[in-house]
Amino acid sequence: MQKYLSENNLKALLDRLIADGKRVVAPRMDAGTPLYGPLANSGGMVMDKLPRRSAKETFFPVCEDIMTYGKEGQKVNLTDIDPSTFPETVLVGVRPCDAAAIPVLDAVFSWDYKDEFFLERRRKTTIVGLACTKADDACFCTAVGLSPADPKGSDLFLTPLEGGGYACETFTEKGEQLINNHTVLFTEPNGSQPLPPAEPQTEKFDLKKVKKWLDEHFEDPAWDSIAVRCVGCGACAFLCPACHCFDIVDEGTEKAGKRRKNWDACGFWKFTHHASGHNPRDLQPKRYRNRIMHKFKYYDDKFGQSLCSGCGRCIRFCPVGIDIAAIVEEISKK
Amino acid sequence: MCDHNKNIYLPHLATVEEVIDETPDVRTLRLVFQDEAIRDGFAFRAGQFAEYSAFGAGESTFCIASSPTRKGSIECCFRAVGRVTEALRRLEPGDTMGVRGPYGNSFPIEEFFGRNLVFVAGGIALPPLRTLIWNCLDWRDKFGDITIVYGARTEADLVYKRELQEWQERGDVRLVKTVDPGGNGMAWDGKVGFVPTILEETAPSEENTIALVCGPPIMIKFTLPVLEKLGFTDEQVYTTLENRMKCGLGKCGRCNVGNVYVCKDGPVFTAKQVKAMPAEF
Repeated sequence: MQKYLSENNLKALLDRLIADGKRVVAPRMDAGTPLYGPLANSGGMVMDKLPRRSAKETFFPVCEDIMTYGKEGQKVNLTDIDPSTFPETVLVGVRPCDAAAIPVLDAVFSWDYKDEFFLERRRKTTIVGLACTKADDACFCTAVGLSPADPKGSDLFLTPLEGGGYACETFTEKGEQLINNHTVLFTEPNGSQPLPPAEPQTEKFDLKKVKKWLDEHFEDPAWDSIAVRCVGCGACAFLCPACHCFDIVDEGTEKAGKRRKNWDACGFWKFTHHASGHNPRDLQPKRYRNRIMHKFKYYDDKFGQSLCSGCGRCIRFCPVGIDIAAIVEEISKK
Repeated sequence: MCDHNKNIYLPHLATVEEVIDETPDVRTLRLVFQDEAIRDGFAFRAGQFAEYSAFGAGESTFCIASSPTRKGSIECCFRAVGRVTEALRRLEPGDTMGVRGPYGNSFPIEEFFGRNLVFVAGGIALPPLRTLIWNCLDWRDKFGDITIVYGARTEADLVYKRELQEWQERGDVRLVKTVDPGGNGMAWDGKVGFVPTILEETAPSEENTIALVCGPPIMIKFTLPVLEKLGFTDEQVYTTLENRMKCGLGKCGRCNVGNVYVCKDGPVFTAKQVKAMPAEF
């Protein structure tokens, strides 16, 4: 289904959704930093900035409770978290790189054991993507086979138009539902041209070739030169739309507290450290190698997809200037 | 209301029935599930592991150390070396802890029927084999000769001392126990030497035999060549890998060795499978 949505009607849509009790999550300023977060009203939305962190936290929060416990004498009572209480959510203004990573994460959270914390939020969330009209020199979505106008992962996709407003296209029933529930706000396409999409200045990687090299070069002198300067801060993993490693920790006392699932990162020394003192990934290059391997080989081996959508956040915010796009490009030319 | 089908991270509650000190820092806990349906329905196979929690400290990963043939309770065995294991060590009989599992694959015990078995273990790595040892001893007529080569740094560091005695005395098991040089007291009646050396000296026949090896990385490293020398192929040798884990469910992303997830594809592997992995364990 194709429709036109004016800027004012987009705001009206969000305000209606909020009035209907839906949680509306969109890019907004948070103490000076653009982040995806719940809106109090449509006025808070910031459409022209790529949020600092990706949209994955809508489904996989930085920290979330998975149960609470309380002790009475020798007995312990557990309180479950009921995912059916998670709110119906509309996630708006999601960049193609962020939206594309979400279905990639479905694979790990739904294979074998089902993580209902992630999956129930997925079921209850409608994703409204937004085409990018500007890129910076860290963007490389085109290099991993996506594009600034790729609707992958979006239920409804908005493309900014020359004369203002958005061309709307639906890709799922959820997207159609959103339009059907608010038909007065959507009008027929008015024939105006889309704003020219952003043009990231990167060539497309041959990811098959990259994977083949990774298949054969777990041991290679290149790993040291690639990653010896990595300081293991974990920023890349925390900002990444596809990194999904987590920790499970108890917060509280022996008497009462909660168990939580918190983001973690394979760049951290402690990530694989055994209680005995042994650490299979004892050096930073081994940890960075795992990051590249997981993204471009291991996940592909298991689920047939790679764990990178080219958002460029890990490049923009790496404190020591590690550039994953340059690394992968170099590997693809080996 | 707790829904274990919906919340895969939710543990079952279990009561500590018995606390046994195996060594000065290794402890066994015998646990009984508080929910009767879980107690009766908890089915596992030798080699599987679980996530054990001390509420307020968190979860730790250990094998289920008791045999699936022994119903009613399960056992775990751990060395108190970290926050969670120290908290588990503070638990007393009657206290409540959490158990999630069973997880992972298991020893293909049916494939071992009719064959001789050689167990090779070092130190705290006996519990992952002890589940299988008792499983086999409870089904004794299904197996040929059973040899157990077990060693630790010192006499004090040998776990399951009562059971070593029992295995030694029962007549249908060949137990070879050893301690590292200098680890023996004056009354020590076993061997003195490192496990790989004593295994070579014991020289079990590879014919129709399966070897099951578990120990610290250094012991495994020197044991595999000995088995090779004795004629064992890599398909005849099994081990269980231990890696730091959190979820145990193939999601949290830390236990992988290359593209192999120890929590899902393991923890039981043949030596052939281990040798195919990148050297990152």
